[in-house]
Amino acid sequence: MIFQPAIIALLLSSAICVLALAASAPFAFEVIRRWDIRSGSERQLKLERRTYLFSTLLAFVLVAQLASVLLFVFNAEKMSGMFVGAMCAVGTLNVNPYGFPALNAKIALFFLAAMWLAINHVDSRARDYPLVRIKYGLLLLLAPLLAASAWTEAQFFLNLKADVITSCCGSLFSEGSKTLAAEASALEPLPAMILFYGAMGLAIGMSSLHWSFGRGGYGVAVASVLGFAAAIAGILSFISLYIYEHPHHHCPFCVLKPEYDYQGYALYLPLFVATAAGLAVGAIRPFARIASLKSIVPNASRRLAAIASIGFLLATAVATAMILRSNLVLLDH
Amino acid sequence: MLDGVPDMIELAGIRKAFNQGQHNEYWALNGIDLAIEANKVTALRGPSGSGKTTLLTLVGCLARPTEGRVRLKGEDISGLPERFLTEIRRRTFGFVFQQFNLIKGLTALDNIILPAYPTGEPRRELLERAEGLLARLNLGHRRDAKVEWLSGGEQQRVAICRALINDPEALIADEPTANLDTHLAKEFMAILEGLAGEGRTILLTSHDPLVTESDVVDRVVEMRDGMIVDER
Repeated sequence: MIFQPAIIALLLSSAICVLALAASAPFAFEVIRRWDIRSGSERQLKLERRTYLFSTLLAFVLVAQLASVLLFVFNAEKMSGMFVGAMCAVGTLNVNPYGFPALNAKIALFFLAAMWLAINHVDSRARDYPLVRIKYGLLLLLAPLLAASAWTEAQFFLNLKADVITSCCGSLFSEGSKTLAAEASALEPLPAMILFYGAMGLAIGMSSLHWSFGRGGYGVAVASVLGFAAAIAGILSFISLYIYEHPHHHCPFCVLKPEYDYQGYALYLPLFVATAAGLAVGAIRPFARIASLKSIVPNASRRLAAIASIGFLLATAVATAMILRSNLVLLDH
Repeated sequence: MLDGVPDMIELAGIRKAFNQGQHNEYWALNGIDLAIEANKVTALRGPSGSGKTTLLTLVGCLARPTEGRVRLKGEDISGLPERFLTEIRRRTFGFVFQQFNLIKGLTALDNIILPAYPTGEPRRELLERAEGLLARLNLGHRRDAKVEWLSGGEQQRVAICRALINDPEALIADEPTANLDTHLAKEFMAILEGLAGEGRTILLTSHDPLVTESDVVDRVVEMRDGMIVDER
């Protein structure tokens, strides 16, 4: 079962990431303990030379992790034809207990990696390595999550059994089920719409404000998280219904199927990128007062806010277009 | 430091090893403390293997020290990532190498403007500047000649023009008269005098008395076995 190109690519990418982090961990400890930019000692100079190498390596593997979320979901959807009872990615992810934890870990890693990459980016733009200790400290915090994500993913793929009868999205995202997703699915369309457009409007507004005037950096991060949560709730509660033109089909994964022209990617890609960019704005904000970052952080943070603003706007526009094109009537005029 | 003005280049506790940790480990520099004043001509003198060229490469950001710090106008540049060093090399230093390192097959003019291409300046402006430099060094008539057709003295003058194309504050020259006869060496010293007169900082290595005993040179630093042993 694991001899699928996508699975091999995902396992390899996770293994390389864990190995790169394991190889970097002793260096990260050394940087945290012994870094002293005022010293011209042989050890300090060696650390300075190697930090560039390690940062590049880690940036590369974390960017690969960002891309792997997409491949993971695409693969789960593609494999759904192999399992009895699976109609979409949900069926595949339900084949064993590791599917959804693996997906959730990957999503968490996606956002955390984006934040680390933003910190690494601004640090590498400054001439005096102002965040070197912080970024390697954060990397050590990220390492257990990365290892857990790789382990869960491996367990998921290694325990895929074709003879398992799995449950489809209908049971997981039905209004009667007792999960968080089911509760979001059960939201009434009108309040869900108000929540969706309100939160997305707030996220667009906050990020546009920061993009234009450089104000409210932390607000962008908070609004992005709210926007993301409201968008997922909106997809579960009403956007999916409009796409499928079915009043009880709440699945957020079927929208990625070829039958629906892969429309989900047009919705999720800008949403995930925008949320990651918004969170990154908040991640680099605390360092804006460091002398060597005074011009670097505001510039980077405004660029990230621009990405967030455009991303949220695009996601909202795509969702709205899906609703307007639909033949389903959910709200009475 | 003179009157509170930082020196152009400061070297503090510099050591440089090659093949470190291997059986053929070699320490080319062994504890160099040196301040190079701005707008002055400084010559490093010493026998072969004394560490002169290694020191030049560290000052010019072509290599990094194993230990110690190199400061350019007070800023530590020895630990800077390569992205910043490229810009410093381009804007601050002009290099004249012992073997000139001109690119065969290209004309004198093309060789001169080559280091300025990454700056993105319009080609017309670069050509004007290169032609000005060639004219100043009496080489205008050889602008379209391929460099392999030029004599040693002409090649050196092309190398000097190339070093000056980005208008650097400092000129670094490694054994500039090693391949020149007395007449051409004197010609080089005259060019050097003109550049020093413009207020450029010049650092060169030489064991040629014609250079080190010249009035153009403000300071001679004597090196041996990777250490500074004397200066005048």
